[in-house]
Amino acid sequence: MSDPVPAPHRRPVIAGLGITDMTRRIYGRTAPEFAVDAVRLALDDAGLELGDVQGLLTNAGITRGIGLSLQKDLGLRDLRLLSEIQAYGSSAGAMVQYASMAVSSGMVDVVVCVFADAPLQEGGGTGDAYAASRATPAGFSAIPYASGLRGAPSMYALAARRHMDTYGTTSEQFGAVAVAAREWAALNPLAQMREPITLADHQASRRIAEPLHLLDCCLVSNGAVALVITSGDRAAGLRQPPVHVLGWGQAHPGYVRERGSEFGLVSGATRSGPEALKMAGVTIQDVDVAEIYDCFTYTTVVSLEDYGFCEKGEGGPLAASGALGPNGTLRVNTGGGELSSYYLWGMTPLSEAVIQARGQGGARQSARHDVVLVSGNGGILDYHSTLVLSPHPHA
Amino acid sequence: MPVGPIHRDLPSTAFFDGTARGELLLRRCTACGHLCEPSTMTCPSCTGRTFDATPAAGGGRVVSWTVVHTRNGAGTVRTPVALVELDEGPWLEGQLVDVEPDRISTAMGVRVDFERAEGGEAIPVFRIV
Ligand SMILES: [Zn+2]
Repeated sequence: MSDPVPAPHRRPVIAGLGITDMTRRIYGRTAPEFAVDAVRLALDDAGLELGDVQGLLTNAGITRGIGLSLQKDLGLRDLRLLSEIQAYGSSAGAMVQYASMAVSSGMVDVVVCVFADAPLQEGGGTGDAYAASRATPAGFSAIPYASGLRGAPSMYALAARRHMDTYGTTSEQFGAVAVAAREWAALNPLAQMREPITLADHQASRRIAEPLHLLDCCLVSNGAVALVITSGDRAAGLRQPPVHVLGWGQAHPGYVRERGSEFGLVSGATRSGPEALKMAGVTIQDVDVAEIYDCFTYTTVVSLEDYGFCEKGEGGPLAASGALGPNGTLRVNTGGGELSSYYLWGMTPLSEAVIQARGQGGARQSARHDVVLVSGNGGILDYHSTLVLSPHPHA
Repeated sequence: MPVGPIHRDLPSTAFFDGTARGELLLRRCTACGHLCEPSTMTCPSCTGRTFDATPAAGGGRVVSWTVVHTRNGAGTVRTPVALVELDEGPWLEGQLVDVEPDRISTAMGVRVDFERAEGGEAIPVFRIV
């Protein structure tokens, strides 16, 4: 195998970050409009112009609102790299990986990666937005919906229940994840939900799909996040401190639907985590900040276990110990995560990771941020990506 | 809530012919005999590509379950749905019918039955045994 580390001048760097306002619900704007705003914000952040963009990777959310036509919407000409990427919650990490490979190879110098979605409609429920779009009227894939399952919360409820039955994980332990996320969100001016919550609030929140309560679920949002990926050389003269992409991995387990399946018990992080850390030349003990895809509180628990922040089955007790909050021992989901800041698929953990790696987290900034791990999770634990970011280049 | 309407498509034609006559058709790999869940196209045991339709005996157990809450004008409707492991091995989602949601627990034995929404195909549901 060839050395995965590219020549120093072509090593990939995240040089720009653009996040549309998600501190409130914004209606009446389309996913392409959010995407155009986020890309312009990211380029401004980097100190680059639209004319500098050579590559564009798009990832559409549940409404399938953006795609190749975003090139036209941005007025971009003569792109030398353009694709739609779809790996659900692992897409954000995957886009950074593909962009990093394109930059490292010399194919292009500046690639923009963008996710946008606008599933919320005024007066409609968030669950409705997701469940309706997932409903397929015909064939095998329609059986879960016809049986009464309603999109991601009910499928993750099945996964969470299995974890609880197998390892003794409790709803109160999931609640500790939600409380910790909200404590971080209180420190994050970008977060939508900043009012403190207690474990009692979690337990009293209405049930969505038992065992999951409302406060176990993420904040479906309308908005977009964009990133600018370039080479270390190019980034040196730009506006922001560079964030080096030191390591990456993907893992898509392909669970079988039969006796012996590990569904609900493990995620792809068991594979993508070690791959990404090895490529970065670090171990899990070196990780200063972990930004974990937390579509549900359960997802944080199972991911922390699979990355090795605790033993298998100990994710619940770890959360209940208070380790995840601002006064805890780990630095996890420092912006409040998808549970309390905003849910834009894998862009939520990735955006906060960039902010932390730069040292721009303000009241929520981790004192140590040399190694920042980003976890993306899609499907029902089907698709997984990991990034290792750092303000420092490869040693 | 009752089961929802569902239509057949080309790959599910034989399956819904089966549910219409009260059979839950699994796919039996012609190469190795492995019994696969009904939508399988590649045998997870041997990567075989061809299958016979084989009716399941009908027994199984609850691998995991949820109670889905939906709101309508009158209040909240609670719908129990299980992930069931059939005695033959394959997994299938299905509504748990005629059971008080608070009585459900993992590993309970179930038996397949079929329900059909007006204008749709019959789909498998499960009763606690
Ligand atoms: Zn076979």
